[in-house]
Amino acid sequence: MSSNGGSISNNNSGDHSVVRDIPLGDGNPQDIDEDLHSRQLAVYGRETMRRLFASNILVSGMQGLGAEIAKNLVLAGVKSVTVHDEGTVELWDLSSNFIFSEHDVGKNRALASVQKLQDLNNAVVISTLTTKLTKEQLSDFQDNLLRAISMCELPNAALMLWFLLTLIKRKPLSSMITAINHQPTIAFIKAEVRGLFGSVFCDFGPEFTVFDVDGEEPHTGIIASISNDNPALVSCVDDERLEFQDGDLVVFSEIRGMTELNDGKPRKIKNARPYSFTLDEDTSSFGAYDRGGIVTQVKQPKVLNFKPLREALKDPGDFLLSDFSKFDRPPLLHLAFQALDKFIAELGRFPVAGSEDDAQKLISIVGEINEGSGDRKLDDINPKLLRYFAFGARAVLNPMAAMFGGIVGQEVVKACSGKFHPLFQFFYFDSVESLPTEPLEPSDFRPLNCRYDAQISVFGSKLQKKLEDALVFVVGSGALGCEFLKNLALMGVSCNSPGKLTVTDDDVIEKSNLSRQFLFRDWNIGQAKSTVAASAAAVINPQLRIEALQNRVGPETENVFHDSFWENLNVVVNALDNVNARLYVDQRCLYFQKPLLESGTLGAKCNTQMVIPHLTENYGASRDPPEKQAPMCTVHSFPHNIDHCLTWARSEFEGLLEKTPAEVNAFLSNPSEYVSGMRNAGDAQARDNLERVLECLDRERCETFQDCITWARLKFEDYFANRVKQLTYTFPEDAATSTGAPFWKLADAVDKVIVPEFQAKKDVKIVTDEKATSLSTASIDDAAVINELVMQVEQCRTTLESDFRMKPIQFEKDDDTNYHMDMIAGLANMRARNYSIPEVDKLKAKFIAGRIIPAIATSTAMATGLVCLELYKVLAGGHKVEDYRNTFANLALPLFSMAEPVPPKVVKHRDMSWTVWDRWIVKDNPTLRELLKWLSDKGLNAYSISYGSCLLYNSMFPRHRERMDKKVVDLARDVAKVELPPYRHHLDVVVACEDDEDNDIDIPQISIYFR
Amino acid sequence: MASPSKRRDMDLMKLMMSDYKVETINDETREFFVEFHGPKDSPYQGGVWKVRVELPDAYPYKSPSIGFANKIYHPNVDEISGSVCLDVINQAWSPMFDLVNVFEVFLPQLLMYPNAADPLNGEAAALLMQDRTAFEQRVKGSVFPDFSHPDHMLAFIGTWQTQTCHLKLSVSYPPFRIISCGRGLLQ
Repeated sequence: MSSNGGSISNNNSGDHSVVRDIPLGDGNPQDIDEDLHSRQLAVYGRETMRRLFASNILVSGMQGLGAEIAKNLVLAGVKSVTVHDEGTVELWDLSSNFIFSEHDVGKNRALASVQKLQDLNNAVVISTLTTKLTKEQLSDFQDNLLRAISMCELPNAALMLWFLLTLIKRKPLSSMITAINHQPTIAFIKAEVRGLFGSVFCDFGPEFTVFDVDGEEPHTGIIASISNDNPALVSCVDDERLEFQDGDLVVFSEIRGMTELNDGKPRKIKNARPYSFTLDEDTSSFGAYDRGGIVTQVKQPKVLNFKPLREALKDPGDFLLSDFSKFDRPPLLHLAFQALDKFIAELGRFPVAGSEDDAQKLISIVGEINEGSGDRKLDDINPKLLRYFAFGARAVLNPMAAMFGGIVGQEVVKACSGKFHPLFQFFYFDSVESLPTEPLEPSDFRPLNCRYDAQISVFGSKLQKKLEDALVFVVGSGALGCEFLKNLALMGVSCNSPGKLTVTDDDVIEKSNLSRQFLFRDWNIGQAKSTVAASAAAVINPQLRIEALQNRVGPETENVFHDSFWENLNVVVNALDNVNARLYVDQRCLYFQKPLLESGTLGAKCNTQMVIPHLTENYGASRDPPEKQAPMCTVHSFPHNIDHCLTWARSEFEGLLEKTPAEVNAFLSNPSEYVSGMRNAGDAQARDNLERVLECLDRERCETFQDCITWARLKFEDYFANRVKQLTYTFPEDAATSTGAPFWKLADAVDKVIVPEFQAKKDVKIVTDEKATSLSTASIDDAAVINELVMQVEQCRTTLESDFRMKPIQFEKDDDTNYHMDMIAGLANMRARNYSIPEVDKLKAKFIAGRIIPAIATSTAMATGLVCLELYKVLAGGHKVEDYRNTFANLALPLFSMAEPVPPKVVKHRDMSWTVWDRWIVKDNPTLRELLKWLSDKGLNAYSISYGSCLLYNSMFPRHRERMDKKVVDLARDVAKVELPPYRHHLDVVVACEDDEDNDIDIPQISIYFR
Repeated sequence: MASPSKRRDMDLMKLMMSDYKVETINDETREFFVEFHGPKDSPYQGGVWKVRVELPDAYPYKSPSIGFANKIYHPNVDEISGSVCLDVINQAWSPMFDLVNVFEVFLPQLLMYPNAADPLNGEAAALLMQDRTAFEQRVKGSVFPDFSHPDHMLAFIGTWQTQTCHLKLSVSYPPFRIISCGRGLLQ
């Protein structure tokens, strides 16, 4: 964090419009706008965000990639972004740059970008440079704490800039800068996208410290035993597996007995096992381990020594690999990008798309460089690939710009903050599989003098037409959706009749969306996401034919998204934020045999999955394990981390303030029905409900604010003193389970029953809640108690005004004035104090209790870029499964892992075979008997037939035999209560069956036609 | 792996093939009841429970939710809701398991070896730790006899007044009415 005083005014003079005053940190750092940045805070934490807010960035080159990088940085909220470009906007730029429109053609690129970038975030200072960069300018920048440069202009310019940078690095650094920042050098990032090829190079200086190499929470464990030994063996309880690795540093706390380890000194571990590890320390003279203790990993900083560009070009070291089927590509592309520099230096222009001469020229330059690379010389320089490289070299494609904009944006954040591991140092990528399968003629590449010319120069005009004619459904219009709409608009998807893009989202815009859902502005808060996003996308490309809907996609909206809607689509793009909706869309796409392009992000991680009819498995075929929920017993009485305390606090909030008042209202609105309902249920649950209603109306009823204070004070005593006393009475400190293990795992949990000091007002009488001290209510008959309770609540009701109602409160995490998060954080932290669990601040509590999904603009942009590279394949058609790619990426590491999608599982039976994409059709409105016969003719013995979750037939239920001669459709109507609209001609049933050897055979869904 | 809806049907079928009595409501496969007998050589022997099984949409990827519809005195079962706090169901569930595993292995294990270390019924856990014999007496006293066997019925009628269980007198033959248990606040 900077802490120097004053602001340095920029004394640049001359014709270029440089930099307004960049105020430097003045020891009074601006507070983070937590509403705006909550999702990003959840990824980076406060410290990293503060460093970002103090960082000044120069982005040189404002074609498609520069615009994407600048967008991601402005959204992240750096202090200033200076955009540099000497060139003017060309029609050619419109294929990839979302900032420019046709009106901007001829204007300076930097100047044409300022306003649109400023609109993204008013807190960021945006300035421009429109002339050649000079050493003096860069020096001035350095005085202004320039933290990173990202470069995506002509390659030769990058080299020049890098050279200037090496000059100023020699300049003695002012003590001010060294004091603020141990990394005085300006980080330098060079990025290029050339057609379907891209490269990134990072130089963060000779000594760059990474504070957090992966962004994961430190691992922890609960200790079960420690030996007095050298080395000491530490075992942990077997509730959760440890995730330590050899060489990790850990600290200990709360150990009893061997208290020497509680000194907070980091210690190195070895022999890391799932439930134990050894400690590089002689503990034989230490006190004997008694009980308790928590072990926590300490994150170790890592120092990286970057090579400067010129040196790294000669000796690039290991390349970051993204696709194991292309392991030999990075060294070749390393040559190709250098050859392109040389080509441009010699001819003063890019190779022309479709020109075999230019391609040959480039290939021969690659050959020359290869000959001179000594040990690193490649055996094969793959002329076919280089030909593609030459053809597309001039074009910046939007999907590539989006993908690399995400990667480079993240690298800049790393350079500014030391958070996450930098890319070290070269990354090369290509997506040649995105090219159409049929060979293209030179005439296909010819520019049409339109905004898609750059894209046409790579893919040809035939694919361009297919893109424009496509009927596309984008499901969701949040972070992914905004990026997708921008990408699709720039690519020209659905931009010509009969093409149409339908986007739907039932959500409205909130403040916390604005830090990455970049089509929204603060004046849009409260408006429908899909509508605002659709009009913003239509501004990017006015030809876009887009319709915005506000429907959630699900079984309840099948009248909107009806059969013919699905049947007409060419492709579906998911931009969703939950698994259930994804599974639903997956089922629909499976049913209508539509390609589904799926993606998702979590913090710096993202994944993409292509679901292509008959070629790949469907989305639902493989699943992540569901989130583990904490067992109820743990949450009720035995929490051992803050998550458990927060879950409890949420549940108490809901019980006290939402459910119970609603229960009271249910009773008051219709007493007789409510009471008879409770009597009929007659169980412990009903009794519990009645007791709560009675509490609210009688014992705990509040008529004045003073009553509320009394109520709160009593609740406090109950929650944090009485209940804990009861618990420690029931389970004393030395309690042991039947296996002899101590009951309490965290030793201090028991003896630190903290009854907090609380100055009660004089007139408040403190009554110990009788119920809390008598846990057992088991021996009382519910029915009798219910009767008694009913009498009491009825009695209470007579004393109330007839229109008396309570106001249930629903939890809302994002409103800081409603006390909800204050209450939950308070409850959870006090409970944590009861159990000696480390407490958290309100922000962290909000992340956990509000289930805030960490999200940043960079990984989102990258995911959508990757998906759009696949969209070219889907809409071109004719691609094999080997051409498609699924990706998992983690920008924090960084890791890119791309692989062919998994083909669908093929089931074989007799001479038939099928996959999940097949459906069987039975016509002529069969009866159940006829359907069973139809199946048994195929050697399939059906034992269960269901529609939805309703059994139409199960061979074990005797009563189902009576259904044999009913029509299947009538069974569905009678049993499953399905209503079949007149336009529906069939229904789909799921049949479980066996072959003659009693093996289960997984057969396709069966469509039964009844009309 | 078969589609989730098919897995529901298959697992239900397997359960019935293993001679478990299954009771569905309106042929619904999302939620149904299974008769469960207390395991031999445990204090729960001779008891019969109606166990509510809920198969979530994501079954078998997500674990079934299991609850006792009639009361059971057990450290790992919530007295009010009947919910089972069973590690293997809530925590260690894998799509490889099915309902037969739940009724043949998990639930009998739970009744044979109550786990006092993670109690949901604190009082029962405390009693188990302090005085195992007293705990077992208490369990035996609360066990629902199997009314489907006439002898048990007669024996029970002779002794019910001395028992501490909460059999509802409205219970008629067949013995168990279905108690729809609301779920605890926490789920």
